[in-house]
Amino acid sequence: MEQTELQVEIPSVLKQTSCQNIKDFDYVDYGNGNNPNPLENAISDKESYGESIAGSKITKLELQEVVIISLPASPSGLHIGQTKLVLHSEKCENTDQNDTKNPYPQLAKQKKFHSQPILVRENGDRKVVHSEAIRDHRFDPFKTWSGRLERQISNLRGKPTQEPDIEAGASQREEIEEAPGVDRYFDALEGPELDTLRATEVSVLPEDEKWPFLLRFPVNAFGICLGVSSQAILWKTLNTSPAMSFLHISPMPNLILWWAALALILFVSFVYLLKIVFYFEAIKREYHHPVRVNFFFAPWIACMFMALAVPPSIAVNLRPFIWYILMTPIFILELKIYGQWMSGGQRRLSKVANPSNHLSIVGNFVGALLGANMGLKEGPIFFFAVGLAHYIVLFVTLYQRLPTNAALPKELHPVFFLFVAAPSVACMAWAKIQGDFDYAARIPYFIALFLYMSLAVRVNFFTGIRFSLAWWAYTFPMTGASIATIKYTMAVTNVVTRSLSVCLSAISTFTVSTLLVYTIVHAFVLRDLFPNDISIAITRKKPKFSKMLSHFRSSSADSKDFDSSISKNSEI
Amino acid sequence: MAQNQRRFNVTNHQIPIPTLHQSTTNTTGTDTGTSTRASKTASSSDLSILTRFHAGYFRISLALCSQALLWKTLAEPTTDARALSSIVRTIPSFAFILLWSIALLTLLLLCLLYLVRCFLRFRSVRAELAHHVGMNYLFAPWISFLMLLQATPFLQPDNRLCRILWCAFSVPIVVLDVKIYGQWFTQGKRFLSMVANPTSQITVIGNLVGAHVAAQMGWKESAVCMFSLGITHYLVLFVTLYQRFLGSDSLPAMLRPVFFLFIAAPSTASLAWDSISSSFDTGCKMLFFLSLFLFASLVSRPALFKRSMRRFSVAWWAYSFPLTILALAATEYAQDVKGVIPNVLMLVLSVLSVVVTLALMVFTALKTNDILPHDDPFVCYNIARGTTT
Repeated sequence: MEQTELQVEIPSVLKQTSCQNIKDFDYVDYGNGNNPNPLENAISDKESYGESIAGSKITKLELQEVVIISLPASPSGLHIGQTKLVLHSEKCENTDQNDTKNPYPQLAKQKKFHSQPILVRENGDRKVVHSEAIRDHRFDPFKTWSGRLERQISNLRGKPTQEPDIEAGASQREEIEEAPGVDRYFDALEGPELDTLRATEVSVLPEDEKWPFLLRFPVNAFGICLGVSSQAILWKTLNTSPAMSFLHISPMPNLILWWAALALILFVSFVYLLKIVFYFEAIKREYHHPVRVNFFFAPWIACMFMALAVPPSIAVNLRPFIWYILMTPIFILELKIYGQWMSGGQRRLSKVANPSNHLSIVGNFVGALLGANMGLKEGPIFFFAVGLAHYIVLFVTLYQRLPTNAALPKELHPVFFLFVAAPSVACMAWAKIQGDFDYAARIPYFIALFLYMSLAVRVNFFTGIRFSLAWWAYTFPMTGASIATIKYTMAVTNVVTRSLSVCLSAISTFTVSTLLVYTIVHAFVLRDLFPNDISIAITRKKPKFSKMLSHFRSSSADSKDFDSSISKNSEI
Repeated sequence: MAQNQRRFNVTNHQIPIPTLHQSTTNTTGTDTGTSTRASKTASSSDLSILTRFHAGYFRISLALCSQALLWKTLAEPTTDARALSSIVRTIPSFAFILLWSIALLTLLLLCLLYLVRCFLRFRSVRAELAHHVGMNYLFAPWISFLMLLQATPFLQPDNRLCRILWCAFSVPIVVLDVKIYGQWFTQGKRFLSMVANPTSQITVIGNLVGAHVAAQMGWKESAVCMFSLGITHYLVLFVTLYQRFLGSDSLPAMLRPVFFLFIAAPSTASLAWDSISSSFDTGCKMLFFLSLFLFASLVSRPALFKRSMRRFSVAWWAYSFPLTILALAATEYAQDVKGVIPNVLMLVLSVLSVVVTLALMVFTALKTNDILPHDDPFVCYNIARGTTT
């Protein structure tokens, strides 16, 4: 219908017709006999493809009237790259490699996305009409094998198969074959954790709806495991170190924290494993995100913290094979990421360096510490050397604050605490390797202390920043600094060092408890602990009409404004 | 002469303004011999061997001399008796002397050619000195001489002649150091951030090899001096190369084998510190492990080298020297840390380096035509100097 008209004439902007007459149009018959009067905005093709606003539902505030906007094109960003194909179909000889030669079969292949009509304020209740017969296909591109896995599973469970969108799946798969290049992440996102969408960008998935829980579960969640398990190490050190015996700390906190950390790790790993199984494409996008990729080290670091924090009542000497098991994934990840720094064109360090890269370095030092604890000799030195070399590179790069480096936040942010992580763990690792806290261990310790102080005196600059799950990852450097201070106190015991250790331990415990309260509040009271993970839903190419989008965003959702903006945009 | 210049102009389609990128594209064509337009319009006879020859050919001598050093080290009695010496003892000693002689002859031949080129094609040499890749290879002959000196089967390390020769070979290295390192932070067009590329590590390797040989001969102070020079600049260079500034991305795809120099530098540092401190202590181990890691990192990225492997060129010789130095470091490591894994490591790396070198020699023998490029690598600079001077 719309396809054939494209060549001939530009249809009028607004066309009114009954939704029942249009094929593939989402029509839901309500049992109460009230036939909603859908006002369909059959916007002309050019605008509809150009606008491609995902799942925008304009709700009229009157009862019993449902506005359904069903755009023949796919929502937002998925097919933006193909919009130019339609707009320039006359002169378009060389299209994208992804696009077929004949535009029209492609259009036919494009998925029709059905808006879900929402009845607002019917009898005061919010009735979300989410017909069970229609599966939500909007999240298919992020699912494993574009949703075919889910269909398989629902097949196995005996549920009837929904419409087999083979054609739609093919075109979507073409789009999502490749995750966006790293430039796109920097263009589309902003913020110190690169998690806020810029105003000119649009998300591939609907922004005003809550996505499935698994899709909202970021890899940052492993930060909680890091935070809690490092606390367990702190309390174990407080309990076992002779220099701190004046505090008379019992082994109970260590035990409790260790079990809590274990439970957390298991839970988070289980959920993330589910995400890997069901939403593998989302995992790929997280992996290509310049900040999130560093959090892929977090599970292994958390496991190593667990091994370091194991209470003496459970196990005293751990077997070396655990170390090999834990270091292998870190080694493989490192080969990939450091190799990209050295030789990768797009992901050169001068461009992607950000404080979260410290997470990829700290893994080396934690591994060295654990290995030395277990009595291994050469392996810890190996990882210490690799970590040290790359730490020097990263440290210099971040300190330079190169103009090519867009990822470094201009204002202070808790992510800066990661600067403290590497030297504090490195000093402990070196002390363990050498056997005593010699000068080569004291130098990184003092550096860590200096960085900690320079951030602590600026703590008032940290206020007013939106809480996010990643903050947990920033608590472990503080805890690490406290533990390093305790080890230093064991070597140099006097009043100053003792009070310093007590002070730092108190600060870190207080911070973690505050964060725990915040987390609980956000999880159960505010229920926004897991917001929509916009950073993985950016488009592969910059939307063509970004200015229009930002204009549209700033205008209110009132239908009048919408109409006026549509007419305004039609003149562009 | 003007006609020749014009022909070169046509040949290379270059605007005669010397920029780093222009010379890069030129080198792309030459090092591979794939600039087909050049080969069509300018036949090889127009350009003599001297013009086509450049300092990069010293990679061959680097590889052979380091091989000789490796064989000598493997045959040392301190090498663990269990692992390797049984194999090594089967190689008759005359094979080692043969290798040493071949290395010496190759080195002398290349030096001779380069000397003649200096006299007859001075413009090319000047252009080479100014090029960001070419200038680093001026260290290569001295490194080769030093390694050959250490590998020599005739002289004892603390012989008087040895020391004189060491001085003779190290002085040019220091002179070049002053020139090139000074340029890094003083000269506008040749700041380190602009010229840094993996071949810059050859300058560092030069200092470290000098330190290594000096320490072997008993001159600890000179050894420490050169070592500190080398290691400081290595630190700066390592960070710069890892950062990969946009300006430093001027290495043509055909020269990708030189990425293996990332492996060579820390291994050489490890060897040097080992000779200075007389034991393979933690610092040496850390440097050795770093180079092992970089080796694993490069070997797991075959796509990086795909383009350069399409056609044989002298750049392929860049694979051999770093592998040999890594094997040398592994040998020292295995000598100090006895055990199964160090010995296995030493064995694997030595075999790998020998195989690679032999393969390269076979390739060179078979494809002598390809080993010389088809046009002058620095011709655009010649034109520039012709027009501007």
